[in-house]
Amino acid sequence: MPWRYAAGRLAEYAAVLAVALTLNFALPRALPGGPLKSFGSPEALARLTDDERAQIATQYGFGKPLHEQFLDYLGGVFTLDLGTSLSDGRPVTQALGEALPWTLLLVGTSIICTALVGVTFGVLGALRRREGKGSGLLGTAIVLDSFPQFWLGMLLIVLFGVQLQLLPTFGVSGVEGVTVSGVLLHLILPVTTMTLTGMGYLFLYTRSSLLTVLTSEPIQHAHARGVPYGRLVRRHALRPALLPVHTILMMEIGFLAAGSIVVETVFAYPGLGRLTFDAITARDYPLMQGAFLVLTLMVVLMNAVADATYPLLDPRARTGGGP
Amino acid sequence: MMFLRAPRRSLLGTQGLIGAGILVAIVGVALYGTLLPDDAGRARVAQPYAPPGAGLPLGADDLGRNLLDQLIVGAGTSLSLAFIVAAATTALAALVGGAAGIGPRWLSATLMRGTDVMLVLPELILYILAAAFLGQSFGTRVTILALILWPVPARVLRAAVLTAWSRGHLEVARAMGAPRWWLLLRHGSYLIGPLLIPVFVRTAMRAVIYDATLSFLGLGDPTAPSWGTTLFWVQTNGVFLSEAWLWWALPPGAAITLTVLALALIGIAVEERLNPALREATR
Repeated sequence: MPWRYAAGRLAEYAAVLAVALTLNFALPRALPGGPLKSFGSPEALARLTDDERAQIATQYGFGKPLHEQFLDYLGGVFTLDLGTSLSDGRPVTQALGEALPWTLLLVGTSIICTALVGVTFGVLGALRRREGKGSGLLGTAIVLDSFPQFWLGMLLIVLFGVQLQLLPTFGVSGVEGVTVSGVLLHLILPVTTMTLTGMGYLFLYTRSSLLTVLTSEPIQHAHARGVPYGRLVRRHALRPALLPVHTILMMEIGFLAAGSIVVETVFAYPGLGRLTFDAITARDYPLMQGAFLVLTLMVVLMNAVADATYPLLDPRARTGGGP
Repeated sequence: MMFLRAPRRSLLGTQGLIGAGILVAIVGVALYGTLLPDDAGRARVAQPYAPPGAGLPLGADDLGRNLLDQLIVGAGTSLSLAFIVAAATTALAALVGGAAGIGPRWLSATLMRGTDVMLVLPELILYILAAAFLGQSFGTRVTILALILWPVPARVLRAAVLTAWSRGHLEVARAMGAPRWWLLLRHGSYLIGPLLIPVFVRTAMRAVIYDATLSFLGLGDPTAPSWGTTLFWVQTNGVFLSEAWLWWALPPGAAITLTVLALALIGIAVEERLNPALREATR
C-alpha cells in the first residue's frame, strides 16, 4: 500500500522535525549558569546594564515556566518570529531570508554537479576496473575523499585566485553590484570545492554497487547467453546498481548542506553558512539558533525530496510492494 | 623449494601497508609531541609573522608562536580524539546494533526508528550546534561526536548480527534454549567481530575531519594547539594573500589529509579482506 509507505515517511520527518526543534530550544537553556549566559561572551555580558538584562530575559521569556517557554518558542517558529540579532539588531528572519537564496543556489548547483560527476566516474571506474584509467580514478577518489573541505577551498583560492588570478576568491558582488555573470563566476570555486569533496564517497559507492551487480548470477547468466556487454550494462545492471546510490546521495545532501557553513566561510559567500559562522564568532545566539534551525530544516526537506523521487528509480516503491 | 610455498598474503596488502606506515609516522610525531614542554606552540617565541629560520623551521604565526610546535602538538590532539571517539562510537554502535538484532521486536523497532531519525539529522551541523552551546573542551567534543556518529555503524552491525543469526548452527543452538546474548557473544562474535575494525577506522576518519572543521570555524579549544585552529588563524589573517601560506597553511592541512588518507587506506584494505562477510551483511 503506497499510503502506508508515505505515512511512515511522514511520521519519520515529523520526528526529525521535533528532535531538531527541541535541540534548538534545549541547548541554550541546558547551559550551566542560566540562559543569559548563552547570550554572549562573559565580557559582553558584563557590559550589559540591568535594564538590558531584564529586557533580554523578558524578550526571550526566560522568566516563565519551561513548558510555556517551549510553546512560545514553537509559536515563534511557526509565525516566523525568531527574535532579533544581537550583533546588528536586524530581525533574525530578515537576515535569514536574505541569505537563504544564495545558499540554495550554491547547494543546489553543488548537489547536481556532485551527483553527475560522482555517478558518471563511478560507472566508468567499475567498467574500466582492470585498466589503468580505472585504478587511477579510484586512487584520485580516495585521496579527494580525505581532503578537509575547507583546506581544499583554501588551496583553490591560492591557485586560481592568487597565483593565476583567474577567478574571484570571495564575495559575490563587484563594485558595480550583483550581475548574472558575476554571480556565476563567484559560484565556480565554491561549487568545485563542494563537488570535489562530495564526489569521492559517491564514486566509491557507485563503483562497488555496479561491480556487485555485474558479478551477480543473473547478469553473469545473461552474459553467458550472449547478451552484448554494453546492452547488459545499460539495460540490466545500471538501474539496480543505482538504487542504493540514490540512498547514499540522500546522505550526501546532508553533508553538502552542512558543508555550506564551511565553504561559505572560506569564500566569504553571503549565504546561510557565512551568516552562521558570523553568528558563531559574534556569539550572537538568537541568530545562531535561527540559522541552525533553517539549515537543519533545509536538510530534512531535501531528504524528503530525495525520498519522493525514489519511486522514479524503483518501480517496486511505486506500488509499495517488495522489500 | 620456493614453488611449494603458498603465496604469501600480507595482512593488509600494499594499500593498507602504505596507510599503516603513514599512520605509524604520525603516531610517532604525536608521541614526540608529549615530550615537548607544556607551552610548546602556545608561548610567544619569535616576532609575529616570522618567516622560517634557525630554530623555527615553519616560522611563527601572528602571535609569534612556533608553527612547527603547533603542528606536532596538534597531532596528539587529533589522534587521541579520533581514537577515543572511534572506540566509544564502536562500543555504542555494537550495543545498539546487537540489541536491535537479537532483542524483542518492539525494542528492535524503536532502536531502528531512532536510528533513522538520527540519520536524517546532519552530523556536522549537530556537532557545531552542540559545541557552540555546550562548550569546546576535549571531553565535551569527544562525547558529542560519539553521540552523533553511532547511527551508521549501528545499522551495519545490526545487519551483521541478523546475518549471523540465520546461520544454521546458531539456529540449532537457539532451538536448544541458550540465552540469545550468550549465543551472540560465544558463537556470533567471530562473524561480527572483524566488522568492528572498519567501523572503528571509518569513525576515526570522520572524527578527525569533523573536529578539524570545528576548530577551523573557531569553535575549538583555544588552549590546545590543533591543526584546525592553526588553519582558523590562516583564514582570519588572510594568509593566502602572502607567501606565508606555504609554511603556515600547507603543513596542517596536509597533516589532516594524510591522517584521514592513512585511515582510509587501512579501512579499504580491511574491508576488502572482509568482503564476503560484508556482502552477506548488506544483502
